[in-house]
Amino acid sequence: MLDIKNLQKNFGNLRALDGVSLIVESESITGLIGPNGSGKTTLFNVVSGFYPKDGGEITFKGERIDGLTPDEIAKRGLCRTFQIAKAPEKLTVLENMLLAANGQRGENPISALFKRRLVSKQEKENLGRATELLTMLQLTHLRNEFAGNLSGGQKKLLSLGRMLMRNPDLILLDEPTAGVNPTLANDLLEMIRRLQKELQKAFLIVEHNMKVVANLCEKVFVLNFGKVLAEGTPEEIQQNEQVLKAYLGGT
Amino acid sequence: MPVVNFLIYLLIMIGIYALLALSLNFQVGFTGLINFGQVAFFAVGAYTSCLLVCKAGIPIVLGFLCGMILSGLFGYLISIPTRSLKADYWAIVTLAGGEIVRLIAVNEGWLTEGSFGVMRIPQPLKHLLSKGTYPLFYLVLVAACVVFMYFVLRLLINSPFGRNLKAIRDAEELCLSLGKNTRKLKMEAMIVAGAVAGLAGALFAHYITYISPENFQPIETFLMWAMIIVGGRGNHAGAILGAVVIQVFNVSTRFIVRYVPLGPDVVAPLRMVIIGLLIVAFLLFKPEGLVKEKKKIYELKDNQAGEL
Amino acid sequence: MDLPQIIANSLVRAAELSLLAIGLTMVYDILKFANFAHADYAILGGFLVYTFNQAFGLNLFLSIILAALATGVISIAIDKAIFKPLRKREAKPVTLMITSLGIAIALRNTLRLIWTSKPKTYAIPLQKPFEILGARITPTQIGIVATGLVFMITLHLLLHRTTLGKALRAISDNRVLASACAIDSERMIQWMWFIAATFGVIGGTMIAMEHLLYPRLGFDILIPIFCVAILGGIGNPYGAMLGALILALAENVILALDFGYILSLGGLFKVGSIQINTGYKAAISFVILIIVLLFRPTGILGRK
Repeated sequence: MLDIKNLQKNFGNLRALDGVSLIVESESITGLIGPNGSGKTTLFNVVSGFYPKDGGEITFKGERIDGLTPDEIAKRGLCRTFQIAKAPEKLTVLENMLLAANGQRGENPISALFKRRLVSKQEKENLGRATELLTMLQLTHLRNEFAGNLSGGQKKLLSLGRMLMRNPDLILLDEPTAGVNPTLANDLLEMIRRLQKELQKAFLIVEHNMKVVANLCEKVFVLNFGKVLAEGTPEEIQQNEQVLKAYLGGT
Repeated sequence: MPVVNFLIYLLIMIGIYALLALSLNFQVGFTGLINFGQVAFFAVGAYTSCLLVCKAGIPIVLGFLCGMILSGLFGYLISIPTRSLKADYWAIVTLAGGEIVRLIAVNEGWLTEGSFGVMRIPQPLKHLLSKGTYPLFYLVLVAACVVFMYFVLRLLINSPFGRNLKAIRDAEELCLSLGKNTRKLKMEAMIVAGAVAGLAGALFAHYITYISPENFQPIETFLMWAMIIVGGRGNHAGAILGAVVIQVFNVSTRFIVRYVPLGPDVVAPLRMVIIGLLIVAFLLFKPEGLVKEKKKIYELKDNQAGEL
Repeated sequence: MDLPQIIANSLVRAAELSLLAIGLTMVYDILKFANFAHADYAILGGFLVYTFNQAFGLNLFLSIILAALATGVISIAIDKAIFKPLRKREAKPVTLMITSLGIAIALRNTLRLIWTSKPKTYAIPLQKPFEILGARITPTQIGIVATGLVFMITLHLLLHRTTLGKALRAISDNRVLASACAIDSERMIQWMWFIAATFGVIGGTMIAMEHLLYPRLGFDILIPIFCVAILGGIGNPYGAMLGALILALAENVILALDFGYILSLGGLFKVGSIQINTGYKAAISFVILIIVLLFRPTGILGRK
């Protein structure tokens, strides 16, 4: 589904991405790990269109997407979350969810003014879906709270909630369980697995928690100094000497 | 009698500036577009309407409409070169844009009568009413426009379109990652805001019956900014309240000259010093303004989600 | 087109603009916001020079030094009272910018209150211009260019040869890290305001010397200064110097150009004289600013 060939990204003299090639298969959960500064978030930023590339190709669902703006890429079905979860502060949690809904008709002034009945109907439907998702994420009690007042972990949950509302084909998750309590983290992982099975979604997940990676991902890519150090199943990776060296002996 | 006339004048000016504040608030308070050149919309609306009416002889209603359309178009034009700019560059460009419009008004005399200004601007339905009741009619007209625009803007802000704008203001990158074309949304916001401010311009021109580039100095933009900062950004009532407060202050200090031993040379700059200090004071001590931004609350009733 | 004269005029204007732009770009670099009151600080200084010089009869140079000191102190006071609390509150740069607009309005009109809107001059006696390489230039103008050069060199030495300069550059790169290295950022920020004010006052006085001194001058030069700073690369004082030169040349050349002559391809076709109205002189910097922001927002020497 996502095919990255020889991607390069430089910041001045720093080679943040130095010829990265990786593939995310449809309906798979792929992990992306690596020490801090290895280029994981930079990779996300380039793939999702926030940073321009300096070389290489990115193909999504058969189409080249490098060079497109972030919103064009998102419209094609590739969405991402941010390492430090973002949320418009003065929109409530519910409004955040509604924001993410697809195919809203009232998003320009003309239809907002003249197609009110249609817009209203859509809003009600989206509201229903949003409330269900919030229940699943255990955020219902915060539904009318300004998103700016949420804790970091709650904002992460909200990010995932927005992804679920949006329903993209490929989701890039940047440290989805960081700051989330362990029980809820487990539920999240369950949700991710369900989405993969039932809705044929694909995931590329950046994670530091090896247990999560081992549990969830079918394939893992290890990044170090902007290069792919190793790729394989979680078991293979955990036994790879170079990987162990790079992480200074960590699982 | 003169007191009543003065009050009507005051209320009309409050109304016109309320429209300008609503327009500026739509850009700044809801979309996060820092427009330091708002006076340009005001000028485009005023000049378009009165020039078309005076020189091309079109009916005044059409003049008003053209003023709004051209101002909206100007909003579209401004949004193009500024689409990828950060807030501070955006502010500088709009400041420059406002001055360019004024310079064009001064220098292109063949179009705008330059510094001489446009005189004897006709007033709508003047011949139908007596001289005494006309101001009252105009007040009703302005008030109707304000009420109308208040509801239109409120409708827009409460729609998915408005939600997108607020999201752009607070977290533009997130909007992009959710597939929102933020450049297009900002352009649409500018067109709407431009049209509202253009209406204010047309109302102004046909009330005062004489305009010149002097009416469109940067000071006007600063007054409008004071209105939205004092009144409160992020809500329409705040914009209108701000217009009331600042305009009352503005207009009343003009008449204080008669009762206070300060010459007009002192009162005019002193007034603006206070305006500047008000902006600073509110941003320091009461940044949300007099009226805070409201939360949109959805209530759930018997499994049926609905808006409160 | 009188090329030598254009170059001479441009050098003078460049000297004036660059000192003003350097202060603006410094504040943007270190405090990360566009100070819309910067030009008004400079003109405040200009008025103080006028008062010391004309009202108290002090020597012009002494007046400038005193005015620079006074303006520096005032700008530090304003920072302590207004910008520092906002910084502590982690206010967004946009908020700081709007606040500076409020300060600009208040300051500009305070100048009007104290000194009235009637334009003032420094009563510099009419001078006979020298003829250098085909251009006419007065001693005052030569002094302006020389002063500009001296101060640009001083700035370079300051930034690279003194501990203060190194500290300022450290803060500009990373304020948190700088504090960790025991650099007292608040103290440095006060020095920054002082330097910016001094450069601004000198630049503003030079402009007022050439033309007139009036309260609105701050607003009139604000956009050209922004243009210079952004054109050269915001945050980079060397960019400000380069940008000043380019803008000054552009202004003089564009006004002198007869577009009709160009369009007629040097006399091949019959096209009447088309010159830009001098009333649009101010607009030249506006248009250049918009073009730069459209095509190269980082400016010529900009980083990142």
